[in-house]
Amino acid sequence: MTMTPTTSYQSSGPAGRDGFGQLLRSEWIKLRTVRGWVIAIIVAAALTAVIPIALAGTATSNDPVTCAHGICQAEGQVVATGPAGDAVTDSFYFVHQALAGDGTITARVSALHGSSAPQHLPPGFAPPPSIEPWAKAGLMIKASTKPGSAYAAVMLTGGHGVRMQYDFTHDVAGSAASASWLRLTRTGDTITGYESTDGRQWTAIGTAVLTGLPATAQVGMFAASPPFIDAIGTGDSTVPVGTQVAATVSHLALTDSASSWVATAVGAQSPGAGNGNGNGKVHCKLGNCVGPPGQTAGSVRTSGGTFTVAGSGDVAPFEPIVDPLHVTFFGTLFGLIALIALGALFVTAEYRRGMIRTTVTASPRRGRILVAKALVIGVVAFAAGLVGAAIALPIASHKLVANGWTLPVWPTLSLTSGIGLRVVLGTAAIAAVAAILGLAAGAIFRRSTGAIIATTGLVVVPVILAVVLPLTTGTWLLRITPAAAFSLQSGVPRYSQVSNVCAPYHSCFPLAPWSGFAVLCAWAAVALAGAIYLLRRRDV
Amino acid sequence: MRDAVHAEWTKLRTVPSSGWLLIAIIALTVGVSALATSIVKCPGTCDADTTKLSLTGIMLGQAAVAAIAVVVVTAEYGTGMIRVSLAAVPRRSVLLAAKAVMVTAVVLVAGSISVLGSVLAGRTQLPGNGFTAARGFEALSLLHGPTLRAAAGSVLYLVLIGLFTLGISTALRDAGLTTAVVLGFLYVVPLISYVIISPVWQRRLDRWAPTNAGLAIQATRNLGKLPIGPWAGLGVLGLWTAAALAGGWLVLRLRDA
Repeated sequence: MTMTPTTSYQSSGPAGRDGFGQLLRSEWIKLRTVRGWVIAIIVAAALTAVIPIALAGTATSNDPVTCAHGICQAEGQVVATGPAGDAVTDSFYFVHQALAGDGTITARVSALHGSSAPQHLPPGFAPPPSIEPWAKAGLMIKASTKPGSAYAAVMLTGGHGVRMQYDFTHDVAGSAASASWLRLTRTGDTITGYESTDGRQWTAIGTAVLTGLPATAQVGMFAASPPFIDAIGTGDSTVPVGTQVAATVSHLALTDSASSWVATAVGAQSPGAGNGNGNGKVHCKLGNCVGPPGQTAGSVRTSGGTFTVAGSGDVAPFEPIVDPLHVTFFGTLFGLIALIALGALFVTAEYRRGMIRTTVTASPRRGRILVAKALVIGVVAFAAGLVGAAIALPIASHKLVANGWTLPVWPTLSLTSGIGLRVVLGTAAIAAVAAILGLAAGAIFRRSTGAIIATTGLVVVPVILAVVLPLTTGTWLLRITPAAAFSLQSGVPRYSQVSNVCAPYHSCFPLAPWSGFAVLCAWAAVALAGAIYLLRRRDV
Repeated sequence: MRDAVHAEWTKLRTVPSSGWLLIAIIALTVGVSALATSIVKCPGTCDADTTKLSLTGIMLGQAAVAAIAVVVVTAEYGTGMIRVSLAAVPRRSVLLAAKAVMVTAVVLVAGSISVLGSVLAGRTQLPGNGFTAARGFEALSLLHGPTLRAAAGSVLYLVLIGLFTLGISTALRDAGLTTAVVLGFLYVVPLISYVIISPVWQRRLDRWAPTNAGLAIQATRNLGKLPIGPWAGLGVLGLWTAAALAGGWLVLRLRDA
């Protein structure tokens, strides 16, 4: 290693300064004057760019999205296009009438009852719970009965209390009550949702602005219950079981209730839906409304002003199972290992050459040495990751679209889209913190091989174990190990209000992106603190 | 040659890290294997390959095997010891062969203990998890042909990974660089082969990547569906190992130490 002696002779410098800037500068000089390390940084950036692009080129979809009249098929499911152009599931039972202009609908919804289709489950699969946690029933204002049209709704849910949801992606929690008075008020484009325990004292849950809501909207009661999905093994085998929810609605009051109630199974696949006739709805009069064979869309019964509305399906964003961008970005792991190795070598090379003795002589406060090194290696690794990922993302994304991963199900990611920016910055941030973890391991082990293997074992190996071990263990590993941070590279949005199986096998990470990153940061912080402690305590 | 091997043995046994790495091979392999066989359950009919499952820990143990093979070579370059070694054993192929013999012997011993421990853990734990004889899962036994092949093959797999790493270390000489390259082969390539979308590329990786092909030796069920046969897979790893050793030998001969 070429070494530029940093003098501890202080008199020419500003008096009283602690010299951390100098320390940073000396660490930076140590890094940039080793030719092999500079090459390693360039190679890491190049690998981060090239391998995801190559992987995207191979990722041909064998089940491309097909669309007709705004209704698409993807992964064997019916997908509508929501108000924001994103993929949504919009199939539920709706008992409605037209509401001209502003108005209010109020009702009391008593406890929900769930049921599920009788099905012989393969061994090992859990039967559905008595009610699906995201089964929902309540009041809704919707632009039309066309699947994917704008809506706002207040509802009771099977396991998540009272909610106000609107335009598919928005979900606001109300109280945890299991029976409640609900109210929706329309004022122009603004819909406000309320709940009450007694029908007199009302609490606002949330406010939705549905831009462009037509003057005459459909308003009424709805019920939906998504299929219950259990997974066994690594999560690659799943069995969905259809469920239904029934709600009893009483004390129904609507401003200007002019017409009578009509029941529509929104989004149900009628026999004509497949060839593009209509929008795939089953229109029924009041009474039992039975959907296509094998699937009961829902029903409504009235008795003395009390309605019993039952339905299945879901009103929620659509989450695809396959995340091609994330799979593609697993290619950044080669560059990541190079940067981890560089972080470790940044310390272990000093031990190997005896340089560490010069370093601690120049800066006797040893903790600061590691902090300075961590800053330098963190910034350098961030830059390498950023350059690589910023080159990879647009090209990989372009190739994925060409390979059939298209809208509305798979967002087209660019550097300016929210998810694209998060993936690029996330890749750089993971590189920075993983390199710091490597550096800390280097200071703890003082041997490069051990430090690099230990760090890679913590950051990369849990992902492999999570893929081959059963789902519960795999998910647990991806919550507590630094590998949790790879959730930053997820290329599809994930929503808490969607029931699905998050299988590492399908490159789904259980924690939200930045929470996963916090796990990696915590590991790096603890390791760095341990390294500082050992550096102070041990002889060099 | 005997003296050269003896010298390598002395070097290896007098470095404190060797002992720790041997313990790490055994602890990681048996520990992860025992974890895997304790958590995978068979609720009714199932199609799990219990032998392969009991040998899951090989995936972690191989990192410690690689570490030994890296240290055996790169520590000499790091300290300048290599010049003394070459002065004592001027024929470079003999020096490399002696190191290969040493790595093989050490990994054979540690690998056998690890594999026996893993199989024993599977044998004791699996019946309690529903993998019973009534469901077609006889208790793991080395008397069973395919299980014996998988167990012995796993030891050979570890040896080959050690020699593969030895070849790369000799060619690259730097501990950090070698470790990073080997870890890429051991972990990132298999990870990508698991998640990759294209079935064509998945099959290519499973047939031709060193670890994916090599681990085919652990399969005992549905052999007809494997992308590559057990012995053919180990053969592919053998080819990678031969290529790495040849590269290492070439660099050792042609380049100054």
